[in-house]
Amino acid sequence: MTQAVELASVRKVYGFGPSAMVALNDVELTIEPGRFVSLIGPSGCGKSTLLRLVAGLESADAGTVSVHGVTPEEACAAKLIGLVPQSPALLPWLSVLKNVTLPHKINRGAAGRRERIGALSARDESRGAPDMLALLDKAGLSEAVDKLPSQLSGGMQQRAAIVRAFGLQPDVLLMDEPFSALDEFTRESLQDQLLDLWDELKTTVLFVTHSVSEAVRLSDSVVVMAPRPGRIVDWIDIDLPRPRNQRLFEDARFHEYEDRIRDALHSAWRSADAA
Amino acid sequence: MTTVEETTATAERPTATAAAQPPVEPSRYSLRHPQSRIAWVRPAVWLPLVVMLAALGALWQLGAAKLPYLLPPLPAIGQSLGQNLGYYLQNAMITLGESVAGLVIGFVAAFVLAVLISELPIVRRAVMPIAVVLNVTPLVAIAPALVVAFGFGPMPKLVITALICFFPILINTTTGLRSVPQQVLQVYKTMDASRIELLVHLRIPNALPFLFAALRIVFPLSIIGAVVAELSASGATGGLGTVISTASSMNQLAVVYSAILILAVMGVLLLLVITVIERRVLHWHESSTD
Repeated sequence: MTQAVELASVRKVYGFGPSAMVALNDVELTIEPGRFVSLIGPSGCGKSTLLRLVAGLESADAGTVSVHGVTPEEACAAKLIGLVPQSPALLPWLSVLKNVTLPHKINRGAAGRRERIGALSARDESRGAPDMLALLDKAGLSEAVDKLPSQLSGGMQQRAAIVRAFGLQPDVLLMDEPFSALDEFTRESLQDQLLDLWDELKTTVLFVTHSVSEAVRLSDSVVVMAPRPGRIVDWIDIDLPRPRNQRLFEDARFHEYEDRIRDALHSAWRSADAA
Repeated sequence: MTTVEETTATAERPTATAAAQPPVEPSRYSLRHPQSRIAWVRPAVWLPLVVMLAALGALWQLGAAKLPYLLPPLPAIGQSLGQNLGYYLQNAMITLGESVAGLVIGFVAAFVLAVLISELPIVRRAVMPIAVVLNVTPLVAIAPALVVAFGFGPMPKLVITALICFFPILINTTTGLRSVPQQVLQVYKTMDASRIELLVHLRIPNALPFLFAALRIVFPLSIIGAVVAELSASGATGGLGTVISTASSMNQLAVVYSAILILAVMGVLLLLVITVIERRVLHWHESSTD
């Protein structure tokens, strides 16, 4: 079976000479299809860089990155990848509905290219253009379909951005701190909705976050990263039952996982300071 | 996400529903509306301007009485306009035709070049320095040379008007095409959007507010271009610029000022046209929400 995401001895350096900054050093990461994996770590640990490498927005200086057995560029050409950036990145001149359907008009040759990537054809018989109105409805945006992004709250804009990404039916969904600009309350409700949507599509998710509780709540596995140089220091599987709702917070194991991740982050932080 | 909480809240306090209804917004044609469309009926809105105009008019009349060789009295201007309205309008149409035609030429050239510049860095490096030099060269100085080259026909007028409109459109459109937010570009690059798709769906719509900012400058400028060209081509067949130069050589001050007044009105009308178009096209943009 080919892995959804695979990084082998990946190295990425910004700049050169004495001012060079090693953003990622010798990173190994394998994600099975359908897993929800979070990357967590302090700023400068290269988690966003890792995401951009998988998205094909940057290329590694050494090592290989593959998505379902092909390069990130080929994966983009076949529209295997959906990206939810930190800001909603909606187009202000299009209504919410047009914003989320525009990707279907882009790169129409992608479906054919996708079929040629053998490992994927088994995954889906029922693939067709999704009903975007139903998706928007599911995300609680049925009232906002014809509104412009500027008429929506930040949380609703980010939900529209998530619907846009899910509408692509991506094989790998990349999310770069999508909830970091939202207030606590909005964030929790968006986490619920993200899990609902993910439950249906069962896509692979690579989720970058600063928040320990967010990582535990959402993920099957949490990858802990450390800075200087950016690297992976720990891999923690979160063995909690799904669906994960509000009751999860009362579960003692939830907090045990939080503590484990915090410990891993702290020891990585100390070792980085000592180095 | 708030809907759930709101419904439970109203279920607990059913009496609150009526109070929670938003107050009915007064019509925009009512004075109670904050941005009422008939706000101008209030003296506070129109009185300052009217007083200012009256003061200026009185000053003008005083000046005209003291210096009859410099300023025509206002009634004389009105008389000239009333008696020769057809003559003025005919020349105004010539000038307007020149400015609009030059505007269209300048717009198309600048827009196409802006797209090429934003897509091909080599074009940018080749063209931009020349465009900048062209922009800082006074058009008033180029105009006579163009008249020598192209004669007294419409050609030099179109060239000058197009030139004067060209640069603001070029600079603003280029900026707009290049200023699509990075995260938006990244979302569409992960779909492997082609350059044409990025241009059509992201860059050009993104450039529209910038383009309209340029058009607001350029619409009135186009009249300046046409008049400068007409003034340089002494002996041209028509246009308000020609009217002004002939009348001033014969010391017909009332005619000169009548033509100037019509030019000002034309400028205002063009500005009005572009404002209306802008509101339609850019209804989504901050600049159109009042």
